[in-house]
Amino acid sequence: MSCAQAAVRDGAVDSLLTLRSRPRRIALVGNANVGKSVLFGRLTGQYAVVSNYPGTTVAITQGRAVIGGEVCDVIDTPGITALNGALSEDEHVSRRILEDDDLDLVIQVADARNIRRGLMLTSQLAAFGRPMLLVLNMVDEAHAHGVEIDVAGLQAELGVPVLETVATEGRGVPEVRLALGHGAVLASTGPQSPRDHARWAHDLVVKFRRVRPHSAVRWQERLSRAVREPLTGLPILALVLYVMYLAVGVFGAQTLVGLIEKGVFTRFINPAAISLADRFIPWEPVRALFVGEYGLITMGMTYAIAIVLPVVATFFLVFGFLEDSGYIPRLAIFSDRIFRAMGLNGKAVLPMVLGLGCDTMATMTTRVLGTPKERLIAVLLLALGVPCSAQLATILGILGGISFAALMTLFGVVLLQMFIVGFLAARALPGERSEFIMELPPLRWPQMRNIVHKTVIRVRWYLGEAVPLFLLGTGLLFVLSRTGGLTWVTRMAEPLVSGLLGLPPQAAGVFVMGFLRRDYGAAGLFQLAHAGQLDAVQAVVALTVMTLFVPCVANFLMMVKEQRLRPALAILAVVTVIALGTGAVLNLILRGLHVTF
Amino acid sequence: MSPSDRPHRLSSLIAGTRGRVVRVALDNRDRAERLTALGVTPGAPIVVLQRFPGVVFQCDQTELAVEPTVADAIFVDIDEPRDQLW
Repeated sequence: MSCAQAAVRDGAVDSLLTLRSRPRRIALVGNANVGKSVLFGRLTGQYAVVSNYPGTTVAITQGRAVIGGEVCDVIDTPGITALNGALSEDEHVSRRILEDDDLDLVIQVADARNIRRGLMLTSQLAAFGRPMLLVLNMVDEAHAHGVEIDVAGLQAELGVPVLETVATEGRGVPEVRLALGHGAVLASTGPQSPRDHARWAHDLVVKFRRVRPHSAVRWQERLSRAVREPLTGLPILALVLYVMYLAVGVFGAQTLVGLIEKGVFTRFINPAAISLADRFIPWEPVRALFVGEYGLITMGMTYAIAIVLPVVATFFLVFGFLEDSGYIPRLAIFSDRIFRAMGLNGKAVLPMVLGLGCDTMATMTTRVLGTPKERLIAVLLLALGVPCSAQLATILGILGGISFAALMTLFGVVLLQMFIVGFLAARALPGERSEFIMELPPLRWPQMRNIVHKTVIRVRWYLGEAVPLFLLGTGLLFVLSRTGGLTWVTRMAEPLVSGLLGLPPQAAGVFVMGFLRRDYGAAGLFQLAHAGQLDAVQAVVALTVMTLFVPCVANFLMMVKEQRLRPALAILAVVTVIALGTGAVLNLILRGLHVTF
Repeated sequence: MSPSDRPHRLSSLIAGTRGRVVRVALDNRDRAERLTALGVTPGAPIVVLQRFPGVVFQCDQTELAVEPTVADAIFVDIDEPRDQLW
């Protein structure tokens, strides 16, 4: 059926509001990193997190919108490479959406530069017999690379509407809205083996695509080469890490934190809260609950807003830039060999680096890995060693003030420990690793708007997620301190905390906080250090233990969700033992060598 | 390197070599399917970009990084030598 026929069948009702018993269901499907989420945002007005690497969308997002006079439910799906054969979890999810009887329209989004892969998927979509549109996105980039597509010819051949867009700029999106009523069912493409799909796609590519030699994107090629070749790539990596350290560790963790903690909280908010409480709350226990040593405002809010928030925000800003540039997947080239020794492959660099943002989100992203064994090892390593941004905040804040050597000691010990654990897990756990095959997205100059948008969403998420737990933790500490429980815990833990780790006994309370959130515990260490109760070696030992320590509650729940309860509990136990053991050994070594930093 | 009638393994080609994919070895089905889905299919143009620490190549318009065993399984017909001066 041609597009025109489809239009006649659906009638010329574009301008009227059509009423149905239920909203029209529209699914966006396509290869990874082709811009489905951007188009989703353009169609529904809702923002889904967008990045320049495959695997940003790991769960389906649904949004309701009025499009072309109809109420539509638009479903954004994770990127897929195939719908037949050995499928990943994401691909099963996409299959189920396509098989759902209520689905009215499929919008396949394809990278215009890369229609070969898009068309291979088109060929597999035919089997589902759904009305569809084919959207060729990022035509601007395709043109810059000399790729020209005969859209009219392709549309006539396929019999479904084919549209060109630049979704990030909104170009072509009105046409997509108009075409929503005109989706047509693709004629069967014949036999359904991967080879047939490939041949079918290849024939269409030969027929409808021209590639001219181009010169417009030389900088992209040069930069791409510079970051992936070891001789230039490793210095660039060092530079990137250093700039990150300057932005997050110096500007965020020292300048901003100093400004907000000392300038705002210590000077204005806390004194104001204390004087208000003194005047209006006659009962001492209630007063202490808000403004005491373990007060919700003087401790909980101060930690969350003054110490952790500035670093989280600067981190997400820098991180968003790296994400959108397409740089992060290129790190897989360097790290593949190391990860292979740990039963993973280079692809694992994605969840690991994402873990620096938030281990909970990263735990979910382990789905992009190929086998159950890889997913389990990655979840374990995230829980063990990867500090999230909030925790990084406090690490940089404390150790940045001591010395660079102190910082390197912590990261060295943590990385070494991760490697050892990964190495052993790779041999102890059953199953296989998958082979390293990874797509490198094009390097792009990120859009500031998207970075800011993403940062705002993530900071808001941090506030919604972490602040209540900070308050809960403070409340718990308050109750413990009032009932004498804290003294009891401190005394019970003293042999461990003081004897084994060489820390002051008050650190026990900090580790209790660490059970709720590692960054909360780390923020407690931050305060201890500021109060001069930790020497340099103690700070390094305490932070190393805290970094390796149990994951936060949210991360633990995500581990249960991704791996079920028993493996999650096992990871918890292993991680706790390793954290304390490493801390004890590190303490012995540093003391034995009389290191002072 | 001179052009030859028989296909070369991708892993044996130096950076800058251009050619076309002839076939992907089928001894590992999962690998073959993943490569096919990424566009590494017979007839697709290919350029070797880098060999160390991992093999990086561009196939059609997609840049891919793979470990050496995977590069072993991709067979390529190389173009005339003049095209290799890249």
